[in-house]
Amino acid sequence: MRHFRTLLAHELRSALLSGNTWASAALFLALMGGIHFFALLECSRAPQPWTPVEATFRLFWLPLLCVLPLLTMRSFAEERRSGTLSALLTTPASTAAIVWAKFLAAWLTWAAFWCAFLAFPWIVQARLGTAGDQRLGDPATLFGGLCFVLVSGLLHVALGILCSCLTRSAALAALLTFICLLGLTAIGGAMESLPIESWSWLGWLREPAAHLRTFGHLQDFAGGILDSRPLVLYVTGMMLALGLSVLAVEGQE
Amino acid sequence: MSDAAPQPEAAVAAERLTKRYGSLTAIEDLTFSVAPGEVVGFLGPNGAGKSTTMRILSGTMAGTSGRASIWGVSVALHPAEAKRHMAYMPENNPLPEDLRVEEYLRLRARLKDVAPDQVDARVAKVMEDCDLVRRASGRLIGQLSKGFRQRVGIADAILAQPKVVILDEPTIGLDPHQILGIRDLIRSLRGRMAVLISSHILHEVEQVCDKVVIINRGRLVAQGRTDDLRRELLPHVGFTVVAKAAPSELAALCAASDPAAEVDAGTPVDGGWTRYRVTLPAGSPARETLAAGLMRAGLPLREIAEERYGLEDIFLAATRRSPADGRRP
Repeated sequence: MRHFRTLLAHELRSALLSGNTWASAALFLALMGGIHFFALLECSRAPQPWTPVEATFRLFWLPLLCVLPLLTMRSFAEERRSGTLSALLTTPASTAAIVWAKFLAAWLTWAAFWCAFLAFPWIVQARLGTAGDQRLGDPATLFGGLCFVLVSGLLHVALGILCSCLTRSAALAALLTFICLLGLTAIGGAMESLPIESWSWLGWLREPAAHLRTFGHLQDFAGGILDSRPLVLYVTGMMLALGLSVLAVEGQE
Repeated sequence: MSDAAPQPEAAVAAERLTKRYGSLTAIEDLTFSVAPGEVVGFLGPNGAGKSTTMRILSGTMAGTSGRASIWGVSVALHPAEAKRHMAYMPENNPLPEDLRVEEYLRLRARLKDVAPDQVDARVAKVMEDCDLVRRASGRLIGQLSKGFRQRVGIADAILAQPKVVILDEPTIGLDPHQILGIRDLIRSLRGRMAVLISSHILHEVEQVCDKVVIINRGRLVAQGRTDDLRRELLPHVGFTVVAKAAPSELAALCAASDPAAEVDAGTPVDGGWTRYRVTLPAGSPARETLAAGLMRAGLPLREIAEERYGLEDIFLAATRRSPADGRRP
């Protein structure tokens, strides 16, 4: 555990000093700022069935696909390329401690990005809103949306770490992560749009599909519904991805 | 790092170590040991399997069969405990470019279980020992010269005062001054730590090591103290003789001292003199009397000198012979 704390502190420090992190943060905030701006614009033109914050969160997949791969791509790939991972593995620190430290550092950075995004609705509310007007930045929606991206982020970041373990090239790791996240989001979206209920021959898929509807999870969280099923899905997915990461690192070294 | 455990017979032990990559055998049946406090040179031509062996011993690679142990602890069964007794500096000495030397050593000290209240003192001590204090302590590792990077690698290796230090080509790419510094540093570890060091600079190994282990094509071909190996692998003594004589005349004179003496065809040098190489069996009494015998015979003699066989000769002789000859209990 002492090694894990040491490694986590080192990873967080490295993330803080890395130009890659700051570039990713700038890209994330520019994307989210743009999305939020257009959502506000739409709302100002005509009444909408959703608030600007809800609309912004529904596009969570955009920063997920564009920014998260940049954040996780170097974690193992770069260390394997430079050989510093081998040097790290000669210490008594376990592979699991190394994987968990890198994962948690990346997840905390991802969480910090989303927390920074909260500044946008707050600024809008402070500049334009009137007291008690929750249309611009409903705290419950904000909190629920944030919970969703953080909980689903456990799986998404773990997938990024796993992809980074599989190659020595950071660019290839980013591409692999992008493909995995795209697949996961697309499957989640498809599970909601396909009329599985009406296809009797796909009856067996109904139950798993209910677990995988990513956008439904977002709506549930934003609506204040805390369903344990998505929690179990994302946490077990994260554990599986990290377990595979440990095996990948040990196998390759 | 507890000292309470009894000192094992071997600080490093490789027993019938084998590593295969598919059909390619990198090392096979490698058996050798390093005693506590001993400095051992690990030699072999390129591709002989030195780095593979060192990686298996350091726990960063699994062997296919056999047993590797560090301070009596199996590397495969108890990797974390084995790593507590050992430090390994890989061949290319990979270091994080974006950390300062002192920060890096602090991080490594914490990862190597140095007691928190000892970290500062240990880091200061190794930086002093490796001459890093004045010119490198506050600099980013990425800005350091090759020599200083090697020093940082060695400082990291001795940081936690391990029982065993494994250094893969620690002097590669260094200038003569830096090599001298690293040599002195390794010498200073003798008696305190068991050191297994691979190097292509044989003179370097001869200067520093108590014993050598020589492998070729993944198999052990010789191991032991340099003097013992010299006797075993080079069972003759050679003399350089510069004289004015025909080869047959010199051969006859040498045979008078020892019938087993051999004389080569000779190489003409200036002024009618010829340089010969005379070979005698190692234990020949003629070794002491050859020069006197040649002078007594009235041979015009300009020079006679006994050749000293260095580690290079031992290495060449060892790597030429069959690997099976090198296996010893």
